[in-house]
Amino acid sequence: MADELSAVVVDDHPAVRAGVAYWLSSGTPPIRVVAGGDDVRSAWLGEGANADVVILDLHLGGPTPVLGDLRRLVEAGRRVVVYSMRADDDIALQCLELGALCYLTKAEGAEHLVQATRAAAEGRPYTPPSLAGALAGDRSDHRPALSAREVEVLVEWFQSESKDFVAQRLGISLSTVNSHLERIRVKYALIGREAPTKAALVARAIQDGLIGVDDL
Amino acid sequence: MIDQEVGARSWTGPSLSWGRNERDHGGDDSREAERHVFAGVRLILLGVTSVLQASLGFGALLTYPHHPAARVAFAVLVSVTLLCAFWVVRREPLPRAVVVAGVVAVMAASAVATAVLPSYELFGPAHWSWGQIGWSLLLLLLDRVPALLAAQAAHIVLGVGQWLLAGTPDRAEIGNVGVVVLSVTSLQLGALVMTRFMLRNAAQAVEVAAERERAATRAALAEQWEQDLRAGFAGQLGSTLPLLADLADGVLDPRDDDTRQRCALAATQLRRLFVENDDVPDPLVHEVTACVHVAERRGVAVSLAVSGAPVPVPTDVRRELTGPLVEALAAARERARVSLLRTEGEVRVAVVSDAEVEVGTARGRVEVEGGTYGRHTRMEARWRTS
Repeated sequence: MADELSAVVVDDHPAVRAGVAYWLSSGTPPIRVVAGGDDVRSAWLGEGANADVVILDLHLGGPTPVLGDLRRLVEAGRRVVVYSMRADDDIALQCLELGALCYLTKAEGAEHLVQATRAAAEGRPYTPPSLAGALAGDRSDHRPALSAREVEVLVEWFQSESKDFVAQRLGISLSTVNSHLERIRVKYALIGREAPTKAALVARAIQDGLIGVDDL
Repeated sequence: MIDQEVGARSWTGPSLSWGRNERDHGGDDSREAERHVFAGVRLILLGVTSVLQASLGFGALLTYPHHPAARVAFAVLVSVTLLCAFWVVRREPLPRAVVVAGVVAVMAASAVATAVLPSYELFGPAHWSWGQIGWSLLLLLLDRVPALLAAQAAHIVLGVGQWLLAGTPDRAEIGNVGVVVLSVTSLQLGALVMTRFMLRNAAQAVEVAAERERAATRAALAEQWEQDLRAGFAGQLGSTLPLLADLADGVLDPRDDDTRQRCALAATQLRRLFVENDDVPDPLVHEVTACVHVAERRGVAVSLAVSGAPVPVPTDVRRELTGPLVEALAAARERARVSLLRTEGEVRVAVVSDAEVEVGTARGRVEVEGGTYGRHTRMEARWRTS
């Protein structure tokens, strides 16, 4: 079972931890939740310290989001999926800039969480529809320049929540939709703060031929 | 707008045309009315004066032997009347210079005509100037009452003074002169009083007309407002009224799928209409959320996503953006994804659902696009903010 992916769930609600553990374990292949707790310590200690993916709730009892904890985890090379109640564009973009591989709202279901966790385990970013909306609506000055097609993919994905639908609408294959989304994330990674996960993300993108060395 | 239309409606009668711009120009209107009264009365006075001068004045000159100076005085009086006629027939007020010169000339003519008469003829039939002067003064000073009274008084004092200087009169003579002075003066003062009455009536008429016009305007505005409201509501109620009528008439069967679909549409339209004027920070999200609630109550699983910072959207654009949303949501059967995206230059409202009916396309300020892709039906309304 050494190949089995593992995750640690940091959330202040036991029901959420149990639900996430169930969702992840019932996917194919299943992802094992090795640790969990209402405190970020569970991601640093014991089995949680070696888990492939950290699923992190931004609001752990307190009113302020635990962005500091997120930063420390990312700097330590941990792959983090932020799982939050808040559907707030700014927070989502902030988490991406810090180096989270995904920002997922709790309104988005099991499917996205499983996919995000699996992608994160491989060091890949995952862009759920709400995050696509945040990227499409991003009006900040330092946002990366996206191509017209990339914007279209973002918007269509945000609007439909279905990659099949996006592929059909734009007349492209499913894998092209995915590579567009990934390239957008690479562009965001390139403008953001340095982080091991981001470096890995960019390196993988070059390996996969998603971007050229010239794009850097 | 309607109030301009009403305000522009002018009431130009043949003699009185102070009905223009009644509403906001009450002062102007009463001055205008005053001018008309003066012009009318002056015209009458011109007639009276001319007739009197031609008959009594000229007649007396012919009948009784007169000093040549009296003829000059008569000529001066006639000239003043003719001069006045120049403005009076054109219904214009007399210029101040003309009035001053006229009064001086008339008073001088009066003094001369009286002076050249032998004292026994004073206030007799030969004293033609006595009665005429008053009418000339009235003609000249109709709209300058204090000056008129002063001139009349001066005229009487001078006349009576001259008469008294000529010798001590006996009682019968005093009586005769008194009757002459009183009758002539009272007639002329009567004309003056009558003019004041007419002025007051005209002012009241102006006020009444203005009030009536204001009332008419208010009524027209209220009517227009009500019509706008009705039209607006009727326009926005969309399919609700005919639907209710058909349900009431039994034309439609509530068990029918199509009827239910139409009811869903009407309910969503109404719900959106109710929240349209709510005072909220983000009215577009508010309206979209209201539409989503109706669909959810119907049992449709709706996922709503909003992204991008809020931008101000005018009410009518909001209406155009949410209109297709209402239709698309009403058509949804079990699932719908509603999204609102505010990007740098656009506001985009989209619905992807399992509906079988497409929303028609539209071009204009808000572009609406609809299409079916496999099991999904998509609708998007886009508005360019810049």
